[in-house]
Amino acid sequence: MSDKPRQRVREAGGKHQALGLFADTAMQITRRAFLGLSVTGSALALFGSAVSCSDQPPDSGEGVAGPLSIFPVGGSIRPPGALPEKQFRAKCISCGVCVNVCHVMKYDAVAVAGLKDIRNFGTPQIRDMRDFPCALCMECPGQCPTGALKKTEKEKVSMGMALIDFSLCFGWNGDVCLSCSKACPMGGSIFDFYNGEWGNQPYINDNCVGCGLCVKYCPLGGSAIKVVTKKQYERVKGQYVADSRKLMAMQGEQRYAIVYGQNLPQIMAKGRLVEREYR
Amino acid sequence: MDRTCLRLWQREGSLSVNTVKNNDDSDMATDRLKHSGPEIQAPSSVVRQSSLKLSRLRRFVALGIIMLFLLQFVRIKILVGGLGGSVAVWFVKILDVFAYTESLTASGDFTLAAFGAVVPVLGMYLILGRAFCGWVCPMDFLFEVIGKTGRKPRKTPNISPVWGYAVVGSFLIASGVMGVPVFTNYFSHLTNFFRFLTGTVSFGLGFPVEPEVIVFSGGTIAALLVLEYFFPRFWCRGLCPIGRIYGLFNKVSLLRLAFTEGVCGECSLCDQQCYMGVKIARNIDRSSLRDVNCIYCGRCAEGCATKGKIVSLRFWR
Repeated sequence: MSDKPRQRVREAGGKHQALGLFADTAMQITRRAFLGLSVTGSALALFGSAVSCSDQPPDSGEGVAGPLSIFPVGGSIRPPGALPEKQFRAKCISCGVCVNVCHVMKYDAVAVAGLKDIRNFGTPQIRDMRDFPCALCMECPGQCPTGALKKTEKEKVSMGMALIDFSLCFGWNGDVCLSCSKACPMGGSIFDFYNGEWGNQPYINDNCVGCGLCVKYCPLGGSAIKVVTKKQYERVKGQYVADSRKLMAMQGEQRYAIVYGQNLPQIMAKGRLVEREYR
Repeated sequence: MDRTCLRLWQREGSLSVNTVKNNDDSDMATDRLKHSGPEIQAPSSVVRQSSLKLSRLRRFVALGIIMLFLLQFVRIKILVGGLGGSVAVWFVKILDVFAYTESLTASGDFTLAAFGAVVPVLGMYLILGRAFCGWVCPMDFLFEVIGKTGRKPRKTPNISPVWGYAVVGSFLIASGVMGVPVFTNYFSHLTNFFRFLTGTVSFGLGFPVEPEVIVFSGGTIAALLVLEYFFPRFWCRGLCPIGRIYGLFNKVSLLRLAFTEGVCGECSLCDQQCYMGVKIARNIDRSSLRDVNCIYCGRCAEGCATKGKIVSLRFWR
């Protein structure tokens, strides 16, 4: 039992790399085939990280594993202003107003949940933050006829929590990027920066509303940021904060080994997907 | 038609018998006989079906409302959402009564926001009764298309409204137990119809949508159409909880089925025309009929051998 999670973490990492390797050939075929391939790839990657999600801390012998390996998956990110999950589920009748309001506002972020999570079937979720993040226009809460979405101020929205994958983020690996903080509609109240010799390290604090705009504008292929629900965040918070503190404290040879030996090859492999077309 | 008229006159003698039979069950004047003379005059308040235009108007209304909903896909916000719940002109929230009841049962939390959304519907159907089913519901339109496919006439088993109330009750209990609006969320034809439309459009435009949503919603609608093919209007008459709730409004609505004094030939054409199994001919001696199954489609008036002069839809008075 104790060995299995570690093994699976490595498998997940392998799939991430495979995704990058495929990209070269895929871009030459067709857009559709490419999309299909990337969807399959990300599904595999998600599956991998789902399997690897466990109570056991990830491999921390040689360095700090990226939080992606401890990312919980499968949570449903609700539109802004949603009531607490149980109340929301009881009230939402799947009428589709929020989905269509989002379409009318030209964002198309809100989508309908599928049959995999049968209890939540038909309810609105923000499913594809890489392409369609929530722009926090705050129209859907005002239009929900059932009251499942409640009118809220932009700053008090609590859709989820954006987590940075420290092993993939440019800012944590000797570079200055700032794309996520520029995309963030909340700006300075959310982003903390820890400048050091290993980059302008961004850290998203607990005020994050979870809109996912940073996910979209991350230049890394597949995005180095992932949004999880607040509930899931509570579960992995300890590990996440510990990881960031550990990395910030780490200097010199040790950090060098992690950045050049471990992270940059991953970033290079994923970076090729940057050529994807933004919608 | 000539022959029917002939029969109408031949059978005039049997009218009085029928009148006597029905004496006990209405508040009408007992001396109000139906053979007052060959000149049949309808009061001015009657919604006149001068010729057989009501069906066409009905289809026009149903299609028009669906078209208004379709406009949301090209970002024109007249009606946004679906018939289960929607927003009109970006301002008026509208929520189906049964959907609201289920949502309320599941959450156990009364909010003014949700109640405010039901008020327009309650107001509308306090006036119009169950007219939603005959005039707005997209399934009614689809069922009529199925009816035109040339299947041989089939007889729907006569089903008591009690079964419908049982369906309503069981779904409400299920919603309360599971904490999910079960019918409206999963099986409702209104939800599924618009979920199917939204899903298909999103899929076509490349927006995030799960294909299984389209398959599930389309499958539910297809299942209802198959049911319709073998048992015409079985769904509407017996099972549909949405219509069952609206049927209760028939008891107090301003729109109702009204009968005018005149010569009724007892030909039962109105009964044969009725989708919903309302017994019209045997109630012809009343001044009006408030049946929970009547959807005010007006087919009885169109089918009537007197061309709607005896049976008609009447508003207000």
